[in-house]
Amino acid sequence: MTEATLEHARLQELVAPFADGELPPDAARLVQEHLRTCARCRRELALQQELARALSWEPVARPSDDLRRRIEQIGQPSPLREPFRWNTRWMAAAAAALVAIGASVGTLLRERRGSFDRPVAQIPMFRDAIADCHRAMARNFPRKADLQAVGEGLQFPIPTLDQPDAELFSTWKTTLAGSPAAGLAYHWRGIVVVQYVVPTELIRRPPEVRQALRGSGFFAASEQGQGILAFLAHGSGTLLVANAPLEELKRLM
Amino acid sequence: MSAQAKRARFQSLTLPHLNRMVALASRWADGHEAEDYVQEAYARAWVAFGQLRDPDAAFPWLCQILRAVASERRRTHARRQDLLFIGELDAAHEEMVASDAPSPLDDLLARLEVGRLREALRSIPDEFAEAVELHDVHGLKYREIAKITSVPIGTVMSRISRGRQLLAGLLAVAGETRAKRGVAS
Repeated sequence: MTEATLEHARLQELVAPFADGELPPDAARLVQEHLRTCARCRRELALQQELARALSWEPVARPSDDLRRRIEQIGQPSPLREPFRWNTRWMAAAAAALVAIGASVGTLLRERRGSFDRPVAQIPMFRDAIADCHRAMARNFPRKADLQAVGEGLQFPIPTLDQPDAELFSTWKTTLAGSPAAGLAYHWRGIVVVQYVVPTELIRRPPEVRQALRGSGFFAASEQGQGILAFLAHGSGTLLVANAPLEELKRLM
Repeated sequence: MSAQAKRARFQSLTLPHLNRMVALASRWADGHEAEDYVQEAYARAWVAFGQLRDPDAAFPWLCQILRAVASERRRTHARRQDLLFIGELDAAHEEMVASDAPSPLDDLLARLEVGRLREALRSIPDEFAEAVELHDVHGLKYREIAKITSVPIGTVMSRISRGRQLLAGLLAVAGETRAKRGVAS
């Protein structure tokens, strides 16, 4: 390879940054000199400039008003302490119900069951479900319902609630106790119900849940009309959290 | 700083970039999903706001966060683009710049429908497409792109150069294919 060829190879690498005005003056002068005698690099320069110009004219997406509102809400005091400004896509009744879930979810899991004595909120699976529920609420459940997308990559089926009046409106992927999980939110009889679908081995892991499953087939905790249910169905585990009495919530099993 | 003052500062530094953030997110996802990415990125930015030292670097900082969000979300999704055979694109580009004949690029660009060029970017390898898009569509400087993508500035230079070359080759190959179809019909 001749010296001129090497020089050409080195300088043609600089044609794009030259076209973009990104070269320091010395390097830019060298490229300019080279361009006087190299037709190939002149054509390369024209190509780089034309494409850059054409791309700068391409239309780009713009944020919706709804997104702008949601972004502006970030950093507002927690919805657990103050009324939350809901996504405009929400029905008012559902929003009110969800606030109630948020306000109560921290306490509802204090219920103890069976012969085990630790607070339910100390069980990693439930602790993470509470935290995830808070996060999803803080973001107004931004994901639209897409069961196919939420099920991709998960090694267990995602059975939805088998109730014609339970309307699925949001799905998302999450992690509970280090295990992949799917979050599904429903409007149901004027309240919001959150379902977490998890691997069966995860739901069986806490001894108190395992014991309850062996006995009644479900694990339940409730307080002041709030409820949480854990059970196995269709090859997966399900956790339900909602602002509803347990008896009412069991209709969703 | 009070919570209210922090929030006001966060908004003043980040909200002006919302349009560009959504535009950028649309390279990984469409419509509502792109907006979800942006919302998640802003939520994380709020949590990590104390880490933003240089207010002038707010946009590259937000871009880094958005990239991380997109990368996590896309891990489980198959890449939609159909990567074309790179050698074919290189050859088409080489033909364009080696020949004395007038470059067909003007004609190809003139015939392209609005939005198709950015769409075509999705068909070249992502590291090249991303650098080209950040520079040409979103107007970022090379040093900003280097920061966002965590590569040396020399790598940004070569990615932009090569990205445009592959895009030119792609347009040429697509144009040739269309022409052949036209002749055949």
